Amino acid sequence: MGPRPLEGIRVADFGWIYAVPHATAWLGALGADVIRIETSGAPDLVRFLSGTDGLIGANRSGVFHAINSSRRSIALNLAMPEAQEIARKIIRQSDFVTENFTVGNMAKYHLAYDDLVKVKPDIIMLSGTPLGQDGPFARTVGFGPTTQAFAGLCHITGYPDSFPCGIGGTWPDFAVGTGMVFFLLAALHYRDRTGQGQYLDLSMAEMVTTMMPEAMMDFLMNGRDQAGIGNRDESMAPHGVFPVAGDDKWIAIAIATDDEFVKLCDALGVSSMASDVKFARLIGRLANVEELEREIAARTRVHLRDELVTKLRARGLAAGPVYSTPELMKDPGFSESSMLVKLQHGEVGERVVPGLPVRFGAIDLDYRGAPMIGEHTDEVMSGLLGYSAAEIARLKEARVLI
Amino acid sequence: MARFEDYQEPPRALEGLKVVELPCLDTMPFMAASMAAKSFADFGAEVVKVEPPRTGLQERALGPFRDELPDPETGGLHLYLNANKLGVTIDLENLRGRELAFDLLASADIVFNPNRPELNEKLGIDWRTLTARFPGLIAVSITFFGAESRYRNLRGGDLVATHMSGVGYETPWHQVTDPENQPPLKLGGRQSDYLTGYTAAAAAMCALYSRKTNGAGQHVDVGQWFSMISMVRPNLGFYSHEAPDSPSFQRLSTRLKRAAQWVYPCKDGWVSFNAGTDRFWRGAKKAMGHPGWMNSELFDTILGRAEHIDAIEAGVIDWLSTQTRTEAFEKAQAEHVPCFPVHSPAEVADNEQYKARKFFIEIEHPAAREVRMPGAPCKFSRTPWRIVRGAPRLGEHNHKILGERIGRSQAELESLAAAGII
Repeated sequence: MGPRPLEGIRVADFGWIYAVPHATAWLGALGADVIRIETSGAPDLVRFLSGTDGLIGANRSGVFHAINSSRRSIALNLAMPEAQEIARKIIRQSDFVTENFTVGNMAKYHLAYDDLVKVKPDIIMLSGTPLGQDGPFARTVGFGPTTQAFAGLCHITGYPDSFPCGIGGTWPDFAVGTGMVFFLLAALHYRDRTGQGQYLDLSMAEMVTTMMPEAMMDFLMNGRDQAGIGNRDESMAPHGVFPVAGDDKWIAIAIATDDEFVKLCDALGVSSMASDVKFARLIGRLANVEELEREIAARTRVHLRDELVTKLRARGLAAGPVYSTPELMKDPGFSESSMLVKLQHGEVGERVVPGLPVRFGAIDLDYRGAPMIGEHTDEVMSGLLGYSAAEIARLKEARVLI
Repeated sequence: MARFEDYQEPPRALEGLKVVELPCLDTMPFMAASMAAKSFADFGAEVVKVEPPRTGLQERALGPFRDELPDPETGGLHLYLNANKLGVTIDLENLRGRELAFDLLASADIVFNPNRPELNEKLGIDWRTLTARFPGLIAVSITFFGAESRYRNLRGGDLVATHMSGVGYETPWHQVTDPENQPPLKLGGRQSDYLTGYTAAAAAMCALYSRKTNGAGQHVDVGQWFSMISMVRPNLGFYSHEAPDSPSFQRLSTRLKRAAQWVYPCKDGWVSFNAGTDRFWRGAKKAMGHPGWMNSELFDTILGRAEHIDAIEAGVIDWLSTQTRTEAFEKAQAEHVPCFPVHSPAEVADNEQYKARKFFIEIEHPAAREVRMPGAPCKFSRTPWRIVRGAPRLGEHNHKILGERIGRSQAELESLAAAGII
């Protein structure tokens, strides 16, 4: 298949938690040399999250393994000037610098963009923060769940006339991480053409707001402040989650046209509903949506979920089971996909972790198991930076390398 | 720290790239390709958006409309998603129309095709045909379930992808008290469409880098379902390895309120608050003024706090009930504890932080006059995100693109228009 797309590109990765490590997992899989700069003094707290087979340790978290594939790890105590100098030496040989610390942290280590262009004039640096690098609240502490709230997404996520909701999956961390891949490669494409690097300042909240045009445009054009409408849609009905047989089991059904509604009624054995003047046309279904949903729910709850899903899909309708993650993992369409990969890990052996969500016709992805903390310290120090064994030993003794 | 230089006309990162966005012909609204192409357009690529003649694309019909007056040229979604794009109309279900589309693809770098495989095959615009005919083209399939999976021809969309991915099951996040009347919940708006759009944009750039190494285009397979599953990747790492009888498995694998929730009521609204780690817990103690109950040894460790989450949350809610959003935000942040107010869209539009960073932009549009809209998803210091042109009127660039670019004569364009093909 030839060289990988990002072979020869190096990333000095100060990222932690979820968003930036997710972005650099893409870059690593595409062949970039991602060097994760971390420290056992203040390790990424994801290293201690669960999925550990009951054992605790910085190298055991299944959650960490799922997010940190395809990279090397060097353990540097960035509080020490000598460690900062080593970091700058790595950056001198890098194309990207990525980080998602609280605003001001990189400057504290003399690793802000202004410092870095002195050692690598065409460096591309990306900083991801909850609210961006400037503005009155730039220095706040936050993470995905608080950012959902600030950006307006919790307010428009909720049951009708009810409370604002927190969103699963620590949204938007991985959405933002995916966007970062695009932004970094766009900046690299520009550098390829002009030789010029630049600084990318990503506010997670702002990126979330770019993904809510329905609500934002309604306010900006009409002054209407939207709130949650449950699983409904303003242009489709029924459009919701309905109970099926069993405890807390649900089916999702989205009906876009009157024809599709006829097929749904037929599948549920209530053809009369399709000709009811209240429901036959979309406008009626939207106007009588609560009654419509009650009627549909009364019919779905006698069915087994997966049988009903099959029945609706056979009629060309958009329907699917509502899955928890363990149920999703049993779905054959998922388990046979290329999205789960088996990787080797230095301490725990084989791990099953998610790969990229997309498939390429002609790229051989380079998946490597997540690194143990500092696993590649010696390799990077000697191979990339040319330190002697005696120098490395001294730096370990001095707690520069930890 | 570097700041953004103030150029008159700064360059744009993706100038020179040519992108074609094909229309989604499903009855279900599906905005993913539109968002993917917008990402390219807003950083400088030339995007030609192909729409069905007469009706145009779905987003023209969906609004929101100013004063609730439907107008295909001035709907909010259309103005937002299609700014910076050139618009042509082509009937892809017609042979002569498809010839036009192929001529357009001959000079394109990237095509986003948001249709299901069986329809693509019927029309002869499936990825096998496209990559065989145009060896340098990056053909991005954006489908509900992937172009090759066993579900490839099923219909899905925002609701179905959200709920089949596990994201809907976790929403609302541990706020469920009455499961029968609080089903799993979709996110507001069309989050999974836009996420899939950003995923497709990222994947297209990866394929572009592949082409730089060997000159070859390729098929890129982006599925909405898989894009959403990628949002729960910590779960995948967790459930692959955690023993089902472990306390954390028990705590997390229910949507009933067992783990810490994120969104809490306060005096004048809601805040998102989390004091899960040891450091945040110590900060929260200070922020809340060291109430006696927090000193219990039961709460000293992460595991202890997880075990007694109900007591902790009762205490937190008790404190928050005496605080406004702003007070809670300021007190928690002063101790470096993550706490942000829950904002409504109106409050986002009026927020000091967004204003200071000039996030919302205003453009002139011939049909819609002045329009305000969300701006850059990421600030580039040298090649900033920029709107240079409002969303196209239906078929606005037929002459420029189909005539001047691919060389159809005026007579031919008139004949195509008369036949309803453009």
